[in-house]
Amino acid sequence: MKTRTLTFTLSIFLCVAAHAELKWEQNTIDLHPGVGDKTAVAHFKYQNTGTTPVRFKSVKASCGCTTTQSQKEVVSPGEKGEIVATFNIGDRTGQQMKTVTVQTDDPNPTQATTVLTLKANIAQALEIKPSFVYWQSGEEPKPKKISIKASKDFPAKDITVKSNSPNFESKVEPGKTSGEWTIEVTPKDTSHPMGTALVVQTDYPKEAPKSFNVNAQINNPPGAPPALKPNVPNAPAIKTATPAAIPSASPAGGVER
Amino acid sequence: MKLRAVREGLLLIALACLPAIGEGIYFRDKISWQSPIPASELVTVDQARAWGDGAIWVDARPDEEFGRDHVPGAFLLNEDHWSELLPQFLPNWSPGKKVVVYCSAESCNAARDVAKRLRDEAQLKDVFVLQGGWEEWLKKK
Amino acid sequence: MTSKTSNIVWRVIDLIVGGIFIYAGVIKVLDPVQFGLDIDNYKSLPWFVSVRLAFYLPWLEIFCGLAVIFRFLYRGGLSILTALIAVFIGATIAAKMRGLDITCGCFGHASEHWNFPQHMAIDLAILIALVALLFASTRRADVRST
Repeated sequence: MKTRTLTFTLSIFLCVAAHAELKWEQNTIDLHPGVGDKTAVAHFKYQNTGTTPVRFKSVKASCGCTTTQSQKEVVSPGEKGEIVATFNIGDRTGQQMKTVTVQTDDPNPTQATTVLTLKANIAQALEIKPSFVYWQSGEEPKPKKISIKASKDFPAKDITVKSNSPNFESKVEPGKTSGEWTIEVTPKDTSHPMGTALVVQTDYPKEAPKSFNVNAQINNPPGAPPALKPNVPNAPAIKTATPAAIPSASPAGGVER
Repeated sequence: MKLRAVREGLLLIALACLPAIGEGIYFRDKISWQSPIPASELVTVDQARAWGDGAIWVDARPDEEFGRDHVPGAFLLNEDHWSELLPQFLPNWSPGKKVVVYCSAESCNAARDVAKRLRDEAQLKDVFVLQGGWEEWLKKK
Repeated sequence: MTSKTSNIVWRVIDLIVGGIFIYAGVIKVLDPVQFGLDIDNYKSLPWFVSVRLAFYLPWLEIFCGLAVIFRFLYRGGLSILTALIAVFIGATIAAKMRGLDITCGCFGHASEHWNFPQHMAIDLAILIALVALLFASTRRADVRST
């Protein structure tokens, strides 16, 4: 009787004492990718501080732009590891927050699910406002201004602007402080709908200076169907259900990016 | 003693209402009281459909999801390839057109982010986020 | 511990607890829109409730914090703060069980770098302090009445 009571008590004690626990070094990681970085990588480190192994059931990112890699499927007691989350920056700018939800076989529901957060502040190399200027067909071809401001991580000293289309003229004026400019865009003729990409070429970094696009177009008169084909070099062929098929503005030769 | 605590508690609850109401009045135009996205920026599937040709649809989802299926006539414009896709979308826009941006569901942020960039960077007016996203479109199909 | 020493100790705890809630309230008063989004993250309440709570709760915290510090409407303040923190702890555990990422606690975005155990430890410590203050206040009232 005493032995049975002791065994029972011990087994209860062991059940209570035996537990899986995945401890995370950090649940939230702040990343600061440099200008021009294509990815931001976060290493979420963990350790099994419990007494039983932990198995990962699933590791899912909140968006397709973040991929995850788990070093192991089962983490033994005392073992350490990490989950690597790679955020593909693409053309994103500003404060980004992506999550990775980790499900384990921990019997404790508050510990079975962990949400890891990756935060990244994507510095915008050049702040271009607005990035799109337009005139209505037949509108007076008045110049429109675009302000350019280089971020402190992007020390460009000079910019030049090239247009694919001879119909759009552009003039660059330096701003009051270094790293600031104003571009004045003027169409010669607004009688026909047409569009172009103005390429803003910087001088930074020296080895491979970056360029940025600004879009300018003459819109159709209201009520007319869309009649423009974008005149952008190297644009990928992306399917739309009703492709716009229209004469393009005369190409003035490719502009190197 | 308990009654005193209750009386004091009720008095504090009432006192806190005054500055709270004042702050609510101050922020009344800066916040949407019915939805996390300002009501002026949300549109239902039925409302967007009623715009007919006056609406231009933008799909903010990843390329593969757009490739599988999308709203007929929609333009792909996501943040993965923003600088390539924006020049393809813009020639089809004109002032007066209402831009309706959607992503997979109510809970995804991509449509909100793309709509914000169209408003801030391209300075387009009348940019809306589709309530319920692609999921809602499919339900109403 | 002499009566005078214990009074000093309770007073210090009053100031700390009251100060914490005033600080927490002020942070949220400065950005009620963000607090509304934080409450909405728990997905326990509809937005139109979350946003109204976001404007009201911080002021309630400030007033109750002041009540505790200045011992005016003291027990009422303590009771409300105890109820608030208990509800908040319950909501945080429930959200965690649903796998939601709650990056912000009662300190708004100031606590966004804390992990779940850190959040819970601080919140439980505050709860214990509040309950202790309530008991101490009851004892003082009983002593005065006898």
